[in-house]
Amino acid sequence: MLRKARLREGRLTPWLFLGPGLLLFVTFRVYPLLDGLYLSFTNARLGRTQPAFVGLANYERLLEDTRFHVSLWNTAFYTIASTLPILAIPLLLAVLLDRGIPLRAFLRSAFFFPFTLSVVTVGLAWLWLLDPVVGPFNYYLKTAGVPVRSWLADPSTAMWAIILTTVWWVTGYYLVIYLAGLQDIPPELYEAAALDGASGWRRFWAITLPLLRPVLLFVVVTHVIGSFQVFGQVFILTGGGPGDATRTVVQHLYETAFRSFFQFGSASAMAWVLFAIILGFSAIQFRLLRGHTEF
Amino acid sequence: MADVESPGPSQLSRRRFLGAALGATAALPAIARQAGAQAKPTITYWNGLTGADGKVMDELNDQFTRETGIKVEQQRIQWADLYAKLQVSVPAGEGPDLALIHLVEIPHFASDGILDPIDESTLGTKGFRGEDYIPSTWQGGIFQGKRYSIPLDVPQHILYFNVKIMKDAGLVGPDGKPKVPSSGAELVAMAKQITKGDTFGFALGTLNLGQYTFGFHHMLWQNGANIYAPDLKKPGVAEPAAVEAAEFWGSFHAQHKVAPPANANARDAFTAGKLGIWLAGSWNFTGLRAAKVDFTVAPVPRLLKQPVVWTIPHQYVFPKPKAVDAAKRDAVLTHVRWMSDHVAEWTLKAGQVSALKKAHSDSRITGDPVLRTLLAQAPNWQFGQATPRWVAAENVTRPVIERLYIGQVSARAAMEDLARQINALPA
Repeated sequence: MLRKARLREGRLTPWLFLGPGLLLFVTFRVYPLLDGLYLSFTNARLGRTQPAFVGLANYERLLEDTRFHVSLWNTAFYTIASTLPILAIPLLLAVLLDRGIPLRAFLRSAFFFPFTLSVVTVGLAWLWLLDPVVGPFNYYLKTAGVPVRSWLADPSTAMWAIILTTVWWVTGYYLVIYLAGLQDIPPELYEAAALDGASGWRRFWAITLPLLRPVLLFVVVTHVIGSFQVFGQVFILTGGGPGDATRTVVQHLYETAFRSFFQFGSASAMAWVLFAIILGFSAIQFRLLRGHTEF
Repeated sequence: MADVESPGPSQLSRRRFLGAALGATAALPAIARQAGAQAKPTITYWNGLTGADGKVMDELNDQFTRETGIKVEQQRIQWADLYAKLQVSVPAGEGPDLALIHLVEIPHFASDGILDPIDESTLGTKGFRGEDYIPSTWQGGIFQGKRYSIPLDVPQHILYFNVKIMKDAGLVGPDGKPKVPSSGAELVAMAKQITKGDTFGFALGTLNLGQYTFGFHHMLWQNGANIYAPDLKKPGVAEPAAVEAAEFWGSFHAQHKVAPPANANARDAFTAGKLGIWLAGSWNFTGLRAAKVDFTVAPVPRLLKQPVVWTIPHQYVFPKPKAVDAAKRDAVLTHVRWMSDHVAEWTLKAGQVSALKKAHSDSRITGDPVLRTLLAQAPNWQFGQATPRWVAAENVTRPVIERLYIGQVSARAAMEDLARQINALPA
């Protein structure tokens, strides 16, 4: 009896610990997710109490929605174009800081500082910096004799300006993650490589990069997921413009749900398409970057 | 013994205390009822007055509370967020008792059952009479035969001139006042004379000029066109008059190069002395005065076929409550009545011209040159069409007109694209 009771108690204990977290997870994650799936098959509008079932109509409409197609392309472009600088710039800075250069602590804080700001603050600051008439960015370019333009109002540069803003904002965050990864690499590996006559470049390629693989995987996966959901910077800097040049999926989804007739059914369908895409990309990335890393 | 029999002070006091306590307990419900009958309700009031005008509204609310005892819990939310919040909270029974919204929002909120209609007899008891208001603003509160709102004021466009820039460009009359263009062609010519380096001749709108639907609507209306055809079902933007208006609207930056880029902040440019002529909202003038900008104003000229002035009146509406509370509704109407009686203070401090005729003859208002100019525009006021699809159409308009603004697309192609998108909006 006692043994049975203990067994029962043993089985119950983890659930008691997991319970509160699971309850929150189910209430605020699983339920909205499934409710969104249900809404995507209805003509739900915000405020409409009795949505009607419309089958796949919302998904079929997405096939004809040219602005959704543009937003998908823009999102893919943003993701691809921003991934390389997000991977490379923080890594480069982390390697430099890891070498114990002067003012290391100050520089680490300075690089991290932008990440402490909210996306709204960052967006508004850059909106002013890049203002074509009164912004300092153009003012200094003009002073230096460089031709200026309306960075956010020109379809050929607007997305790049958003990428620049994002890179500036998140570099510090990834820098800290890279630094933690670098500090986990045993120094004796570098000592052995140095004794074998390996150059700094060779040590980077043969030791640093392979052993940073889990960190790289984390950075790529989190950045790609975040990129597919990019919204704040776009909303503040361009509102999806000029025209639809920077319209991303979440911007389009937001406008469908909250600005254009409160079409929650259509917006939910978009959200599920986006979810499927992110899931697919994450699976591919895990497969490509999967590998054992043992010290 | 004596101690037991004698009515000592402590024993007597205990009895008295118990008696008093019992009596008080029995009387509690009656006291509470009386207090309840005397207590004034607290009303919740949402609006989008997030600028300096919101602080003015705060002050007036405080004054109202001091005079009437009715407390006002005001929430100031960005307009776009306010509308989404109303759409969610009212069906859940969590909406406010009173809201201030733009006139063009009424049809879709009314058709979605978000607003309570107000009957004429209720209005009559508080002294609201149609003849006291500018007719268009009073009539604007009616949708499908029912009244849903009471007008407050009329934000509108006005023409601003940066005096220094106008003087530098030689565009002043013998009296030293800036010349006022009398046609679209003259405006373009003057703007060209001003535009030099990073100083621009003309801008229409405040922020995100390329997406400024209010300015685009203004030009449509001046050319006798509109978003929807008169049946309010088919889009009217592909009609020749609309295409012509779109061509004019899109020409300032893309063709004539006299307007700032699509995402420029025209208010900052005007304040910084980099914009000469500015067609923008009346809500900007108090800020320009505060920034000590040397500016003058003129009524919006006839740039196309009609001297129409774009407006977007603020209207009081009554979100549908979960359960009818007569005392609260009465308190809300008392507040609207009070504000209507004090609307001259609102106009003077917030710079918004009243929808009530009475305030138009107030000498303090007519003595202000900007307010006087705004009042003079009243005969030409026009506002959005009364259809639930207006706001959704406005949303799809933004990217289309921005492409037009930057010269990415012709006016005809843009308007045909816009007509197609409006047609595709859900019914």
